[in-house]
Amino acid sequence: MNLAVTTPWVLAGLLLALLPVFSRGMTTSPTPYLPLLPPDPLSAVLAVLLRLCAMTAIAGLVLGMAGLYRSEQRVERIGLGAHIVLLLDRSSSMDNSFAGRAPNGKEESKADAARRLLTAFVQQRQNGMMGVAEYSTSPLYVMPLTENKQAVQAAIAATATPALGFTHVSKGLSMALSFFQGQTVTGSRIIVLVSDGAAVIDHDSEQKLREWFKQQQVHLYWVFLRTANSPGLFDKPEDSRDDNAQVMPERYLHQFFSSLGSPYQAYQAESPNALKQAIADIDHLENTPLHYWERIPKQDLSGLCYRWASIMLAVLLAVKFCERKPC
Amino acid sequence: MPNILKDYRTLCLAIALLAMLVLFIHPYSMQKRPRYNYTFIIDITRSMNATDYQHQDQNLSRLAYVKQSLRDLLKELPCETKVGLGLFTERRATLLFEPLEVCSAYSEIDTAISQVDWRMAWAADSNIAKGLLSTLEMLQKSASSVVFITDGQEAPPINPRYAPDFAAVKGHAQGMIIGAGGLQAVPIPKFDPDGKQTGFYSADDVPHRSSFGESNLDPSQIEGYNARNAPFGNAATTGSEHLTALQEGYLEKLAAEAGLGYARLTDTENLQSALQDPRLATEKIVATDSRWQPALVALLMLAAVYWPKTRLFRRFSR
Repeated sequence: MNLAVTTPWVLAGLLLALLPVFSRGMTTSPTPYLPLLPPDPLSAVLAVLLRLCAMTAIAGLVLGMAGLYRSEQRVERIGLGAHIVLLLDRSSSMDNSFAGRAPNGKEESKADAARRLLTAFVQQRQNGMMGVAEYSTSPLYVMPLTENKQAVQAAIAATATPALGFTHVSKGLSMALSFFQGQTVTGSRIIVLVSDGAAVIDHDSEQKLREWFKQQQVHLYWVFLRTANSPGLFDKPEDSRDDNAQVMPERYLHQFFSSLGSPYQAYQAESPNALKQAIADIDHLENTPLHYWERIPKQDLSGLCYRWASIMLAVLLAVKFCERKPC
Repeated sequence: MPNILKDYRTLCLAIALLAMLVLFIHPYSMQKRPRYNYTFIIDITRSMNATDYQHQDQNLSRLAYVKQSLRDLLKELPCETKVGLGLFTERRATLLFEPLEVCSAYSEIDTAISQVDWRMAWAADSNIAKGLLSTLEMLQKSASSVVFITDGQEAPPINPRYAPDFAAVKGHAQGMIIGAGGLQAVPIPKFDPDGKQTGFYSADDVPHRSSFGESNLDPSQIEGYNARNAPFGNAATTGSEHLTALQEGYLEKLAAEAGLGYARLTDTENLQSALQDPRLATEKIVATDSRWQPALVALLMLAAVYWPKTRLFRRFSR
């Protein structure tokens, strides 16, 4: 129970709640002589109760005016879910359609399809946190791991702005991995790489990525948006001279990911429907027990205070009508 | 008149209870309040690494100071204000996230601002006029006001002949240009691929004039002019483009052309007051809690009932 008020200085008014201690709030008889009356414990109790009524009524009004609320709380729970970092490709080719053309009215661009389906994906995830990183020539830190779905969707929506530059996937992966640094391991940790191309990863970066994937225990999903007539992940070159990372970066990146030793799954999506299937798969697969904090939002208690004060006021007024008036 | 109603206390309690009735029937009043929706576009070009800000006895780069001020500002912004974030480099800006409500997404926005780094730049030029134009085009349909934070250092220098035309966006997008940096020229730090500073850019490292397209000068005035081989002449150029200072005059001119406001970033209060420009606000009618008014009436009435009888008071009542 963490109580707080919005305007603390109003609390000075609580001093008024002491008034009923000094005053009965009744018309005193001009000729009082108590020994005339027999001692009556019930009256004594009632007198104290009436004063308490008045005191709590004043306190209720003051607390209501000060804006009493219960501050946001976090309750630890255990559920099914995962911590997911979406790593999005912002290279210029993402603005083309799956057929490799500038999109016309009928077909959507790869970026549009990814945006639409990922937004739905974020919406339907129950527990766990999500973060967003992007990369083109350099990595962009967009949204930290958070439970705030709106924030993640705002970041995904912002990819509607035109894409940038080239594909530098190793820097993007390093940034996505850095999201998990300093986080306790609970549930599964996932990077979902959504890209339409690959690039050669140099030897140094390869070593570092291997090490980090192992350290951080991250699962990798690569949703490869394949453009028509471009080399796929599983294609073998017809000419053995073409079998190198420069000519077929997708194939080599896939081989590198497969050799990481951490769980890895590749999806080759050639249409928005295949992309939808891949995302549904990830949603289905990645639900392991995890600790998470459920947010209980700030709760306004001023209404409760006012209601209490009104009831007390009604009691006091009713009692006032029972009062025996001196003639 | 019955005895009971002669007692002022009964009257006070009745009024108090009536006030509470008003409180529950009419808890809110409608008020016009300004609402703000900002998209901060931060310049992350190299000149923003120049160190000419001081904060708590520490020298800070322009970018670090901009980030610090924005994070301080974030704490001050009232709930319901929306904040989006984007980066500028080369000739255009990119949006990192669309505007989010500051109270519900405070930590997310704060972390995202703290992670902005000059190494996020996807290309190295700094063509501010074109960047501003592309930003305004990108955001002219959104309800958000553009807050373009830059030092105004064009690198390489632009050719006035190819200055962008803001006529198409003027009046469609509202916003501000915030000038960051000092007015004294300072050197721009140079970094190696690992991010360690290795000195400063020297005069030989940077072009001192534009050599793009045709010169804006009359060919007869250009020394060594040759239409094909030396359209800008053959004279060696010298200049101070390796040093950087806040180009206030230039930014004010751009702001006027694009129909934006201009303010200089000196501290957070100054930034906050600049951003509270009524032109950036949209008036929204919001329900404001007015329950304190009847509650105050009820409280005063109740206090009157229980006010101890001082001598002075006794003279009036009874």
